[in-house]
Amino acid sequence: MIINIEKKEFSEAVSRVSRFAERKSATLPVLAGIAIVAGDDGIKLRATNLETGIDFKMGGTIEQPGVVALPAITLREITSSFSGTGTIKLEHTGDTVLISSSAGRSTLKTLAYEDFPTLPFPEAPTAKFTLPGVSIRTLVLTVAGCASPSTVRPELASVLLSAEGGIVKAVATDSFRLAEKKISVTGSVAPFSILIPAKNAIDIVQTLPDTDVDVLIDEHQCAFSWPGGIVTTRLVTVPYPDYTQIIPKQFVSEATLLRKDFEAVLRRTAIFSDSFQKIRVGFSTTEKKIAFSARNSDVGESSENVPASISGEAIELSFNHRYLAAPLSLISSENLSLSAAGIGRPLIIKGIGDNTFLYLVMPMNQ
Amino acid sequence: MNRSDPHELWEYMLTQVELSISSANFNTWFKESTIVKIEDGIVYIGVPSQFFRDWYQKKFHTLLLKIVRDVSYEFRNIEYMIVKDIARKPKEQRTRREPTPELPLNEFYINKSDNLNPRYTFDTFVVGSFNELAHTAAMAAIARPGITYNPLFIYGDTGRGKTHLIQSIGNQYKKQYPNRKVFYLTSEKFGTDYTDSLQQGTANRFKEKYRQYDLLIMDDVQFLSRKEKMQEELFHLFNTLYDNNKQIVFSSDRAPIAIPDIADRLRGRFVSGMTVDIGEPDSESRIAIVRKKAAMSGITLSDEVAEYIATSVTGSIRELEGVLNSVVCHTQVKGTPPDIAEVRQSLRSFSRPSKTVSVKHVVSKIAEFYGIEEESIYEKTRRREVVRPRQVIMYILREDFSVSYPTIGSKLGGRDHTTVIHSCEKVKREVAEDTELAKEIQDIRTLLV
Repeated sequence: MIINIEKKEFSEAVSRVSRFAERKSATLPVLAGIAIVAGDDGIKLRATNLETGIDFKMGGTIEQPGVVALPAITLREITSSFSGTGTIKLEHTGDTVLISSSAGRSTLKTLAYEDFPTLPFPEAPTAKFTLPGVSIRTLVLTVAGCASPSTVRPELASVLLSAEGGIVKAVATDSFRLAEKKISVTGSVAPFSILIPAKNAIDIVQTLPDTDVDVLIDEHQCAFSWPGGIVTTRLVTVPYPDYTQIIPKQFVSEATLLRKDFEAVLRRTAIFSDSFQKIRVGFSTTEKKIAFSARNSDVGESSENVPASISGEAIELSFNHRYLAAPLSLISSENLSLSAAGIGRPLIIKGIGDNTFLYLVMPMNQ
Repeated sequence: MNRSDPHELWEYMLTQVELSISSANFNTWFKESTIVKIEDGIVYIGVPSQFFRDWYQKKFHTLLLKIVRDVSYEFRNIEYMIVKDIARKPKEQRTRREPTPELPLNEFYINKSDNLNPRYTFDTFVVGSFNELAHTAAMAAIARPGITYNPLFIYGDTGRGKTHLIQSIGNQYKKQYPNRKVFYLTSEKFGTDYTDSLQQGTANRFKEKYRQYDLLIMDDVQFLSRKEKMQEELFHLFNTLYDNNKQIVFSSDRAPIAIPDIADRLRGRFVSGMTVDIGEPDSESRIAIVRKKAAMSGITLSDEVAEYIATSVTGSIRELEGVLNSVVCHTQVKGTPPDIAEVRQSLRSFSRPSKTVSVKHVVSKIAEFYGIEEESIYEKTRRREVVRPRQVIMYILREDFSVSYPTIGSKLGGRDHTTVIHSCEKVKREVAEDTELAKEIQDIRTLLV
């Protein structure tokens, strides 16, 4: 295989693709590699960790077609150090690849390509739709942080993507809190519902272009394809819990406060939170304020009031302060609404005027 | 194997697959798969994702099909299905317990009142020409305790069965005379007891304690050398017991005459009864010992194996037991007694742990032994004084270090492996007949340790 590639393009492609290579060393060595395929379809970079996979097209000229697998980390280190413009030449001979540019040359050991798996794509897609890549990215990145890091329950370690009636939504929950993001799309999207492992989803959306992406789904596999490439991931096939049930319909108390107030008071009060990271939040209707307090026997205690407009009854709940702070970076509105549904029932956080995002957090036992 | 049990079939398939593909491949592709069901001759293998299904179909289908066909022609085909995440959760580990012949607890049981270990009895004692006399003397001493042979003094090198014999005397005595008191102790224990009693000011009680026994057995009396106070104490104890016609049994690793720094009056008392030694066991006795010990552990060894163990373990009976224990352990793990090849392998590791062979090292040692130039071994010369050492080198590399014939050939100056085979066979033949050569090789082996 002999190919000529633009430095900058190669470097970008490698940094995108290397994300999909296996990072653990305990498996097949070739999974930690990027396969470069030069054939009739042009030059393609491939990588997979058997959960997700990518097939990425790039420009360049092929002098001699062929395939080769190179270690992803080494290749990324090499390409990220490229400076300036110009083309480089990759030449495969024996079990090494010679990378030469106008300035210098280096040889890199190859990996055994024969073991490189094929990338599975949905054979008989049961659903197919087109969405702008940027929308998918927004949806996934907004909620993915709330997915459970543990894989004991695969459905909670996943992001739910579903569409109904022109609205596409993404949901993730780890059973302590839940995030839901909706985006309305132009044109019609057939209803669908898939569960993508959150880790895979994050990797994938960061690779997607902003332009339209075709999404193909079958029972076990999902592929995102655009003219420049295709990524694929396995899907989780466990039924997702019916989360709409736990979103309260009626609230006993609703408060509106400034986002920057909330952010600041959380940061200060959190210092005094105990080992359970607990802080208490009290809605006081008469004084029009929310009281935040925390007590740690080692550090001390703190209580602080934040002005807010409150309707409903007075109520006091305890929360993990991390869970309260998590949605702030995801909400762009200046004002927040906190809606409490009662003792032992969840609290809803939303941005005022932003109906696309909903964050639900369960209180801690009193 | 139960063919219709998916779990067992899958375990079997895994062992077969593991042999045919690299371990990286195996770990990547087969860790998370399992047989979901077997229906109408179709084996359904559950895999975690489509990646796996595609790759199984592309790479492993032929292999897997061949394996299941080898099990039974009932299996027509294999299909792959992506199993739901719930079904894929690791099942609880099924551990099958094989009934292993465990060591009975009483092996370690020592009777507190007489200090005897019930494991040592005459039933388990192998009598051969080397210990026949000692055995007869012991029997006579039991038949008429305190009269025939008093004291009975048994000596012999370590690991010859002295302790076994004298403890057997104690156990047998106990059986025959249930009302009499037996006590077994080592001279070292006697010493500590004595110093303790001096410390606590209970010397009288100490004297009383030992004087009450009808049979006193003292092991390893050579350790009393240079301990004058203890010797004196033993002297008095001996006199008391002897005067009352109580039987006394001593053991030592050397003859009373040879124990250094021991009071003459005590030495005289040691030899006053019957002094008998246990010699080195001859090979027939060794084989008998191996057989008996193996039988006690409930395994039967082939003649070949028993003979091999008996002849190749040159040390004491204790070492023989050690080797035998590893054989017993092997049997318990594998379920079958090892064959000669396995024993040879394990003995090698037993006698020379973690020894790596350097051909050059062996060559230089042996060349030095024969007093010839190391280089001449590698040369193509056929001078007689070089040919013999070269053949011995090949023989030793092969026999002791299991170096392959071609490797030996190439390392020793690019010789053909058939030459090596011939040389090894020749030396092997000659060793059997020529004791001089056998002696030489024995000497060389000690050099190489």
